[in-house]
Amino acid sequence: MKCTQCQMENIEGALFCEECGAQLEAKNELQETVKGSPTERLVLASVDGSTLEIPAKDEVVIGREDPISEVFPDLDLTGFGGMEKGVSRKHAVIHRSGADYTVEDMGSTNGTYINRKKILPNTPQAIKPGDEIRFGKLTFSLKAA
Amino acid sequence: MKNELNIRCIMSKDTLPVTGGEQAVYALVDIKAGTSLGIGTMPSNIALVLDRSGSMDGEKMDNLKEAVGYVVDRLGDEDLVSVTIFDDQVETLVSSQPAKNRDEIKTKLSQVITRGGTQISDGLSAGLAEAKKGFGQDRVSRVLLLTDGQTWDDEDACLRLADEAGKQGVAITSIGIGNEWNEKLLLQIAERSHGNSHWIQNPIAILDAFRQEVDGMQAIAATNLTITGRMSAGVRPVKVYTTSPMIADVSSRTINGGTIQADLGSLDAKTGQKVLIEARVPAQKAGPFRLGQVEIGYDVPSQGLTGQSVKADLNVAFAANAADAAKVNAEVMNLVEKVTAFKFQTRALTEARTGNIAAATRQFQAAATVLLDLGEDELADAVEREIASLKKTGAFTAAGTKKLEYGTRKLTQVMTTSIGK
Repeated sequence: MKCTQCQMENIEGALFCEECGAQLEAKNELQETVKGSPTERLVLASVDGSTLEIPAKDEVVIGREDPISEVFPDLDLTGFGGMEKGVSRKHAVIHRSGADYTVEDMGSTNGTYINRKKILPNTPQAIKPGDEIRFGKLTFSLKAA
Repeated sequence: MKNELNIRCIMSKDTLPVTGGEQAVYALVDIKAGTSLGIGTMPSNIALVLDRSGSMDGEKMDNLKEAVGYVVDRLGDEDLVSVTIFDDQVETLVSSQPAKNRDEIKTKLSQVITRGGTQISDGLSAGLAEAKKGFGQDRVSRVLLLTDGQTWDDEDACLRLADEAGKQGVAITSIGIGNEWNEKLLLQIAERSHGNSHWIQNPIAILDAFRQEVDGMQAIAATNLTITGRMSAGVRPVKVYTTSPMIADVSSRTINGGTIQADLGSLDAKTGQKVLIEARVPAQKAGPFRLGQVEIGYDVPSQGLTGQSVKADLNVAFAANAADAAKVNAEVMNLVEKVTAFKFQTRALTEARTGNIAAATRQFQAAATVLLDLGEDELADAVEREIASLKKTGAFTAAGTKKLEYGTRKLTQVMTTSIGK
């Protein structure tokens, strides 16, 4: 398995280049731990395994609660280290339409990423179980509830 | 499977391609407390070992006294506490006793004045002796060691004490304040005893570190946690990392041929423990393949359970058609990426300490690549600054080294409060 960045030959199955640290597997081809149907309720699972259920609403705002500014998102990430990890008060919104979900960055300071690719602000992007979603530096995987 | 623990074994790929050669495979063993385990049910036995050397004068000592006051207020009446203070001499200020004597303990601490140099091993030895007085299978025992200075030629003695404490089930959490202490020593003391370590830049954050430790002690669900891995013929484990409370490479002391044997300390019900095993699998024909089996041993003192264990298999399949090989599991990829960042920065520091600046720079650049990919821009910037320092002076900065040593080890901590910023 040759690294496309430095041409170093790595053992088959290695995930990162031993020489330069480049990722050897395609970033957009990750598999979820538990397979789920998109019609099921979804949860955000942090890397330590704790989960946050996405409420059954057509629009779910994700961010950090700030009573002084009167910002009360549907999903408050403060308890997940949202402040330290650069989550904005109103960071992103998850839209639900039947069985389909999209996520839209609300012009956050530190951006929203799907499978490590930054998405454009105010432009909904389809998401599904197995996707990795990052708000600022706070990473979750999307799973079926 | 017993329901005291929840064990998940996740492979980097469920299905591997038949290649005719050896392959790398990663297994994530995720250990969590099961629903039947109550938390906060075990009384604590905490030994505070505190540096009172001259450099602790002022804000550091004032904040330290406040933090100790917090600890004794937070502990229950049945919990045990002791306070040992050290400079180049040692004094057992408060011998091991129930925390209910709060006012007396605070009064004694308020009278401490700073003086002298720093000799950690004598203080640690005396603190451990106090911890042993209250040691029991039904208590969570921990030493909190706090210092702001370099110790005097007794590093080996400190590490021997840490080894001994780890074997006895007493975790040592080491806390360094400022930049003038040996992070390598404090990290090793923590790793060898299955404890945590903190770097505190601002004395006001001493309280945060103490609070985190007391919370952690009160969340212990199982003790004497061990992992034993037995690989199938031809499968070679090459690396083993534990990830809680910090990432640690435990390969050299846990791998013996095709088996893995590691002590994991206590299980925190909030954070759990994840063990990452990297192995080499020999060429296989198409079909299912059992890489091996892991066995998790544990005690649950609150339920009177000792010598418990639960087993889980590490299974994959080999597919003749490469297109049928599975994609990489996202959860495993995420953990491997963090461990890779830690690995490169560790290698870089090792190379630099031996004077190999070119190799250190190369390893640091690889670490920066991984950190940027993880979105850890601040740590990646710190790496770039250290590369610049290496090129200019041939050495790292004290603060930069600590930032990287602690920052990359704690990449697996998502929900903890930031300390010292």
